[in-house]
Amino acid sequence: MRVLLRPAQYLALAAYILFLGFPLLWLISASVKSSGELNSLTVSLLPQQWHWDNYSDALDRQGLVHSAGNSLVVALVSTALVIVIALPASYVLARLKGKIRAAGVGWILVSQVFPVVLVILPLFLILRTIGLADSLAGLTLVHTTYTLPFALWMLQGYVSAIPVDLEEAGAMDGAGRWTVLRRIVFPLLMPGIVATAMFSFVSSWNEFFFALVLLQSTENYTLPITLNMFIGGEGKVSLGPLAAGAVLAAIPSIVFFTILRRRLTSGLMAGAVKG
Amino acid sequence: MKSRRLVAAALAAAASLLFTACSSGGDSADGPVTLKFQSLSDQPAAIAATNKIVDDWNKAHPDVKVEVVQAGWDGVYDKLITQFNAGSAPDIIHYEAAGVVPFAKDGYLADLTPYLSEQKKTDIPKGVLDSVTVDNQVIAYPTELQSYVVFANRALLQKAGVTIPAGDTMTWDQLREIAKATTRDGAYGLGWGLSSPTAAMVALAPGFGGKYFDGTGTDAKISVGQGEMALPQLVDAMAHQDNSILPVTLTQSGSKALAPFYAGQTAMTIQGSFQAANIAKDAPAGFDWVVLPPLAGPAGPAQAANPQTLSVNKDSAHVEQAAQFIEFFTNTENLAALNEADALIPATTSAREALTTKLGAQNGWKEILSSGQYLTSAPYLFVDKYAQWKDTVATPAYQKFLAKQIDAAGLSKELTDGWNSINR
Repeated sequence: MRVLLRPAQYLALAAYILFLGFPLLWLISASVKSSGELNSLTVSLLPQQWHWDNYSDALDRQGLVHSAGNSLVVALVSTALVIVIALPASYVLARLKGKIRAAGVGWILVSQVFPVVLVILPLFLILRTIGLADSLAGLTLVHTTYTLPFALWMLQGYVSAIPVDLEEAGAMDGAGRWTVLRRIVFPLLMPGIVATAMFSFVSSWNEFFFALVLLQSTENYTLPITLNMFIGGEGKVSLGPLAAGAVLAAIPSIVFFTILRRRLTSGLMAGAVKG
Repeated sequence: MKSRRLVAAALAAAASLLFTACSSGGDSADGPVTLKFQSLSDQPAAIAATNKIVDDWNKAHPDVKVEVVQAGWDGVYDKLITQFNAGSAPDIIHYEAAGVVPFAKDGYLADLTPYLSEQKKTDIPKGVLDSVTVDNQVIAYPTELQSYVVFANRALLQKAGVTIPAGDTMTWDQLREIAKATTRDGAYGLGWGLSSPTAAMVALAPGFGGKYFDGTGTDAKISVGQGEMALPQLVDAMAHQDNSILPVTLTQSGSKALAPFYAGQTAMTIQGSFQAANIAKDAPAGFDWVVLPPLAGPAGPAQAANPQTLSVNKDSAHVEQAAQFIEFFTNTENLAALNEADALIPATTSAREALTTKLGAQNGWKEILSSGQYLTSAPYLFVDKYAQWKDTVATPAYQKFLAKQIDAAGLSKELTDGWNSINR
């Protein structure tokens, strides 16, 4: 029975991966099908004819690469800002007791209550007043502000999971406050930081509505705005180029995740052992 | 209590910033005039045509430069409403009549009546001009239109012994007869993507004398009588008595209903006229298709028009120059080029005729352009709660009716009661 358990586990895992990956496979398949094949009754994962023109159409007609660059800049900078602000704040939030913590938690919850549509107009006016309405800097600021509460909530959960005993043991051994944070807390928090960074990056990378309203110059458009332009009026959709654009849009996210993936687990036990 | 205090503090801070922002000054009007033109052109050829028109204007008018700001259709209403409220909307706005009429009613759009040349005014069919006239003010220039037309597989019609209609118009009864005749050998006569049926129902109702709404704004009253019920009942009869409509298409989008048409599962399909370009591109090699003459009901071949439009932001510092640009943009040559690129019907008679001369011999264009002359005013454009009624009342009610979950009386009641409930 035990002999069968391991293959069954692998089988279940493979099925799960296939299930998760199928939409991506379908997207890739759609990106290399001709318009005629996409609009026919014949459904197949593999295209009858490989139609690479969708990629050149996507790249040529909407400035996809330029807007991908904009998205990358906004996502990376807002992710960095979120982590830099959330890291110390989450530690304080997790370790503090009393009214300040309650106020902090209250602020986080309140910030999640307002729908985006409600805040967009005042936000637009504020950014216009400070000269950042139609700029990537303004959008970065908005993405940072919008993602920060949840990132803070996420990270403080990871901090709370680190036993205070470990910090106290470090202090008993003569380590100062900074050393305890750097040598014990930070390594243990690394998976949380990575997870939060991933969340922040994806939130910013995929964000549509703020970018739609705040950006007005074509040269500032981010990727979701550019991809949106493949969907026209009267129900017209350039399905092949849209799929090709979506595949290209997924690449930076995949690269970012691949880079950070190892960090997600490598820090789990680091620093937990004295030495 | 603590949370309430926090909310109050946050709102106070937002309000103070809002007032600060509102008190800031407007743009300087010094120097050469620059007009921002937010375009929604989405097809590569239409984008190129738009840019060419703008380039031509800029070359001829060095003192009034037009800059194209490319935007997408999805979410543009939210974008515009924020821009209007924040006082930063573009000078020239491309949108559809159904989208701009509410902005005009709220006072965001300039009255273009003084700038509309007499020649242009007579060139735009009255019904189309009515669709952009709010409180006796022309609030936009119509540019492009679409109608609903019947695309047919010539081979299947011939195989069924059907004479392909060739008159100026064809009746719905003729369509029904052809659909019955071509429902054979496993194929259905008609495929009609009616997953969102309301747009088609209200657009085609004028052919049966249907109007749906009397009055404008919040005073509008709904009327669901014989003229409004004729088309849904005809579809119901074709689908469930004649069995001549491929059932699955009733739950599909228009584009999805093209696949069975290409595969020979349906002999005909009712689509937006712009699909002619997609059929020419996507249909299998050798697929022989035609566009049948415009459909006519007992009240004629009229269809309600919801044209794409160009309007001017009332707060623009250069309304007159913007209007002059639109007058230039919509001249015969430009409108013909734009509509050819977008596979749509020009909103002026002269451009439609120019396109007929140029493309009339090509498959489908003659019939499609001909259908443009029957486009008329759409009462629903001027009804404040139409969008809400369409999404929350009419679409589910039509879907239930087409799925035989309610009968005609039930549909009429749901449409009427739903409107009265929304418009209280």
